[in-house]
Amino acid sequence: MWNAIVPLLLDSLASAALIFFAAVGLTLVFSVLRVLNVAHGSLYSIGGYVAASICLFIASRQLNPYLSFLALLFSAVCVAAIFGPLIERGLVRWTYGKSEAVQILITFGLFLILEDLQRVVFGVQSFYEDAPMRLLGTTSVGGVVYLNYQILLIAMALLVVVGLRLLINHTRLGRLITAVVTDREMAQSIGIDTNRIFIVAFSLGVFLAALGGALATPTSGIAPGLGADTMVLAFAVAAIGGLGQIEGAALASLIVGLARVLAIYLVPSLDAVAPYAAMLIVLLIRPYGLFGSVTARRI
Amino acid sequence: MPTIIAAAAVLVIALLPVAAPWLQFVLTLAIAKGFAALGVAVLLRAGLISIGHAMFFAASAYAVAFLARAGVNDLGLLLILSVLGGALVGAVAGSFLVRYRAIFFAMLNLAVSMVFYALCAKLYSVTGGTDGMPVPVPAVFGVVLGEPAFKSVLFYLSLGLMVLVGLAVHRYLNSPLGHALSAVHTNEIRLEYLGIPVWAVLLIAYVVSAALAGLGGAIAGFAIGRVVPDFAFWTASGHLVLIAVLGGIGGVPGAFIGALFLELLHSAAVTVTDSWNLIVGMALIIVIMFMPKGIYGLFARKEATGL
Amino acid sequence: MTSRGISIGVSRYLSSLERLFRLDRGVPQGKVRWAVDGLAGALALGVVAATPAAAQDKPSALRLGIFTFTSGPAAAYGMPGKNAADLMIDEINAKGGIGGVPVSATYVDEAQGAQGVIAEYRRLAGDAKNQVMVAALSSANCLALAPLADQLEVPTVGWNCDTHQLLMDGKSKYVFRPNGNTVPEFIAYAIYLLDRKPDLKTVAIINPDYAFGHDAAKIFTAALKALKPDVEIVAELYPKLGSPNYQTEISRLTTARPDVVFSNLWGADLENFVRQAAPRGVFTSSQVILALGETVLQRVPLPDGVIVGVLGDGWWMSPDAKNKPETVKFAEAYKARFGEYPVFPSIKMANALIYVKAAYDAAMQKNGGKWPTRGELAAAMKGSKVETLTGTAQTRADNDGLVDQIVGVTVKTPAQQSPVIGDMVRYKGDSLMPQAGQDPLAWIATLKPEFAKSLPKPGSYK
Repeated sequence: MWNAIVPLLLDSLASAALIFFAAVGLTLVFSVLRVLNVAHGSLYSIGGYVAASICLFIASRQLNPYLSFLALLFSAVCVAAIFGPLIERGLVRWTYGKSEAVQILITFGLFLILEDLQRVVFGVQSFYEDAPMRLLGTTSVGGVVYLNYQILLIAMALLVVVGLRLLINHTRLGRLITAVVTDREMAQSIGIDTNRIFIVAFSLGVFLAALGGALATPTSGIAPGLGADTMVLAFAVAAIGGLGQIEGAALASLIVGLARVLAIYLVPSLDAVAPYAAMLIVLLIRPYGLFGSVTARRI
Repeated sequence: MPTIIAAAAVLVIALLPVAAPWLQFVLTLAIAKGFAALGVAVLLRAGLISIGHAMFFAASAYAVAFLARAGVNDLGLLLILSVLGGALVGAVAGSFLVRYRAIFFAMLNLAVSMVFYALCAKLYSVTGGTDGMPVPVPAVFGVVLGEPAFKSVLFYLSLGLMVLVGLAVHRYLNSPLGHALSAVHTNEIRLEYLGIPVWAVLLIAYVVSAALAGLGGAIAGFAIGRVVPDFAFWTASGHLVLIAVLGGIGGVPGAFIGALFLELLHSAAVTVTDSWNLIVGMALIIVIMFMPKGIYGLFARKEATGL
Repeated sequence: MTSRGISIGVSRYLSSLERLFRLDRGVPQGKVRWAVDGLAGALALGVVAATPAAAQDKPSALRLGIFTFTSGPAAAYGMPGKNAADLMIDEINAKGGIGGVPVSATYVDEAQGAQGVIAEYRRLAGDAKNQVMVAALSSANCLALAPLADQLEVPTVGWNCDTHQLLMDGKSKYVFRPNGNTVPEFIAYAIYLLDRKPDLKTVAIINPDYAFGHDAAKIFTAALKALKPDVEIVAELYPKLGSPNYQTEISRLTTARPDVVFSNLWGADLENFVRQAAPRGVFTSSQVILALGETVLQRVPLPDGVIVGVLGDGWWMSPDAKNKPETVKFAEAYKARFGEYPVFPSIKMANALIYVKAAYDAAMQKNGGKWPTRGELAAAMKGSKVETLTGTAQTRADNDGLVDQIVGVTVKTPAQQSPVIGDMVRYKGDSLMPQAGQDPLAWIATLKPEFAKSLPKPGSYK
C-alpha cells in the first residue's frame, strides 16, 4: 500500500479544499454575527447551480470556453450580492439577541425554502458542466493521473485562507470586523456602523459558500439534495475547527478530508462515517473545537 | 387546555378513519411524530435544542426490526423493549451531552445522530444499508392478525398511548423536576446554588425525551413496515423541532397538534404541489416571528411558554 | 358525497366549540378563529382529498400506479422510463385502450424516499380504480413494496426490480418480475469478459451502496471465481447512491492497477463517474465494464471497447428489435418526441406495459369478457409468456421472468452520432438462471469452465 501515500495525500488535499470552501463561510458568519446559518449549504448549492447554468449557456453559445472560469467567480459574486443583504436584513437581523433555538429554526426554515426554490428554478434533473475541468488537462503523479483542476482547487483554497487573514489583519474593514467580533456593544458605542459590518460579513460568507459550490461543479455533478449533504459536512468542519476560527476551519478540513480518504483506501465500508466520527472524537476531547475558546458565562 | 376540548379532539381523531380509511396511516404516523416532537419539546423547556433526536426515533425502529429478526413476535414486548432500547441509547448519549449548552449541545447532538445515520447506512450486511430492514406484522397478545386489522389495532393503541403518555408527561412537566427544567433555562447557576443538581435534572429529561422519541419511532416502524437510515438524517431531526415549535412547546398537546396539522396539510398539499418544503419553511418562519407560542399557545392560558 | 358532508360537519362542529366553551377567554378572537378554522380546514381538506370514489364495472379509465424517479440524480435513468410509459400509453390508447378502456397513469416519484413511496402505494391501492402497480425502479423500493403488494393484494409488476432477493421465497402471489433478474444479468458479464480477455488477473469493483450494487458484486465475483479461480479482486468500493464526486474513488481504483474495472453505477452517478474517470485514464489503463452503460451512450463520450449491456434484451438496435416493425416505429416515435433514442429502461417500461396489457387480455378471455378483478389479473400473469418489443418475457412458477441477455462492446459507427453496441452476444434466458428456489450463489459456485464453453461467443449475435 506504500505506493498509495502520495495519491492519498493529494486526494486528501483536494477533498479538503472543497470542504473548506463549504465551511469557511459558515464559521466566518458565526464569528461576526453569532448566528449558525443552517441555510449555508443551500447557498453553496445555489452557487453551483448558477455557475453550471452560466457555463452551459457559454457552451451553448459557442463562446470562448475560458470564459467559464470567469463565470465561476462571477456567479459567486452574483449570489452573494443578491442573497447576502436580502437574507441578513430580512431574516437574520430579526434574530439578534434571541435564543439560539430561534436562530437555528429561522435559518432552518430558510433552508427548506431555498431547497424548494432551487427545484422550482433549476429543475430536478442533475446538471453537469465540465469545460473548466477539461481545459486544464491532467498531470501524472506517481503513476496516478490527476486533474490539474484539482490542483487549482487546492491553490484557491490556500488563497482564501491567506486572503482572509490579510483582510482581517491589514485592512480597515478587517479591523472593524475584529472590533465588532470582540465586543459588539463597545463597537457600536464608539460609532462603528455594526449593521453595515453585519451585511458585509454575511455577504462575504455567502460569497465563499457560493464560490465553493461554483468551483465544485466542474468536477462533480449537481443535483437536488446537495445542499443538505454539504450542510452537515460544513457543520462538522466548523465545529472541529472551532466556530469562528478560519485557520481552524482549514485544519479541520484537512482532518476531515484525510479521514474520508483514509476510509476509502483502507476501510471502504466506513467512508461516510469518517467525517462525523472525527467530529465526535474532536468535540469530546475539546468541546469548543481545536482553536475555539470558552466565553465567560454571565451570572 | 380544557379537558373537554381535548377529549372531543381525541374522539374526532378516533372517528376520522371511519370516514376516510387511508387517513389511518397518516394519522398513525402523525401521532408517532408527535411523540418524538414531544421529546424535543421537553428539552426545549430547558432551552436545549437538539438537532439529533431523530437518532432515538431511528434507534427504536431498528430495535424493533432487529428483535423481530431475532424472533420476538409480540407487539407489547416489541414496543416495551424498543422504547427501553431508545432510552438506553439516550442515557448513554445524554450522560456526556447534557454537559453542553446552546449551540454546542445542538451540534454535538447533530454529530452523534449523523454518526448513527452513517453507520446504519454503510453497514450493509448488518442493517441492510440504505435499503433498510423490514418490520413484519407482529402478533397482538398471541393473536395473529391480518395486515389491515393490525394497522387498526396499531392506530387505536397509538391514540390510547397518546392520551396516557401525554397525561404522564403533563404530570412530569408540572412536577418539581419539570419546573426545574424551566429554571435551567432562566438561570442555571442560580439553580445550582439552590442545591439542585442541574446535570441530573437534565439527564432525566434527556432520557425521558429519548424514550418518547423512541416510542414514536417504534410506532412509525410498525406503521410503515420498513426501517431506513433516513429516519436518522439531520433534516428529520430538524422537522421534529419544527413540529414542536409549530404546535407550541407550552404544553403536551402542542406537539401532537403540530404533528397532526402538518401531516394532514401535507396529505392535502402533495396532490396539488411539489413544493412542500417551501410551504413548511415559510410556515415555520411565520410562526416563530408572529406566533412564538405556537398553535397551542392560542388555546392555552397564561402558563404556556414560548421560545 | 358523504365525505363532503362529513367535512362540513367537522368544520361546523369545531367552530361551534369556540362559542360553546368560550375559547376567546383572554385570547384575541381573531387569532383563535384563524387557528381553529385552519385546523378544521386542514382536516376537511385531508378528508376530501382522501376519499376514493366507488369502483364501477367497466371503469371510465384504467388507472395504473407507475413508480419511477422523476427528480434527482436517478432521474437520468428514471425519466426515460417515464417517457416510454407516456409514449406507450398514448400508443395503446390510440389503438382503443385495453378492452376498450383508455389507460391513464399516476406517476410516483421514488426520490421522496421509502416512507413517501410506501405511503403513496397505500394511497393508490386504497382506490379501487387503481388495479395494477408498475413498481419500482430502485431495488430498495422494490423490496419495501413487495410484502405490501401481497398484503394489500395488488398485482405489482416490477418493471426494474432486478434484485434476486425479491422473489427468493417463491411464495408471492401478486408480485411479478417479467424483466430479468440480477443473476443471469451479471453472470452474462462474467462470461463475456472471460471470452474477451481470458488472461485477466485482477478486478476492481465500484458499485453503488445498496442491494443492487452489493448483489451484482457478489454474483459477478462468484461467477468469475467459479470459472477462473485465480482471479483476484483488488478493490471493492461502494460509494453512496447519488454521490456527485468520485475523484477519490478513481484515485483508489487506479492505484490498485486492475486489469478490469467493473461497475453497475447508473443514472447521473454513472454519467458523473464516466466524465470524471475518462480524463484520468481509467478507460485506457483497464478494461472497463459498465453494466448499465447503454443508458449513457447518447449522453457522455464513451471510448471504444467498453463492455456494456442492457440487463436483458432491450437494445433498440438489436437484430431482433430491428426485425419487429412495431419496435422500429416505437424507437422512431420516441426519438421524435424526446430527442434521443430509447435506452433500455425505456424498453423495460414499454415491455412491462405490454405485459400488463397481455394480462388484461388473457384475464378477460378467461372470464368471458368481464372486467377483471385484481385477483384475476394476478392469476393471468402467473406463468404467462408475452411477446415484447425486443424478445419474449416468460414468467416462471415463482413469478420470476426469463429474459435473454445481450452483451457487447461500444463501437463508434459513422451511421450514428453516438457509439453503438457491437460484437454482441445473446444468451438464452433460461441458460443462466438457477432453478426456482435455489440459492443463486450456491448454484453459481457449482459452475465449471466447461459451462461457459457451451454458450454463444461474442460477435455471434448479428
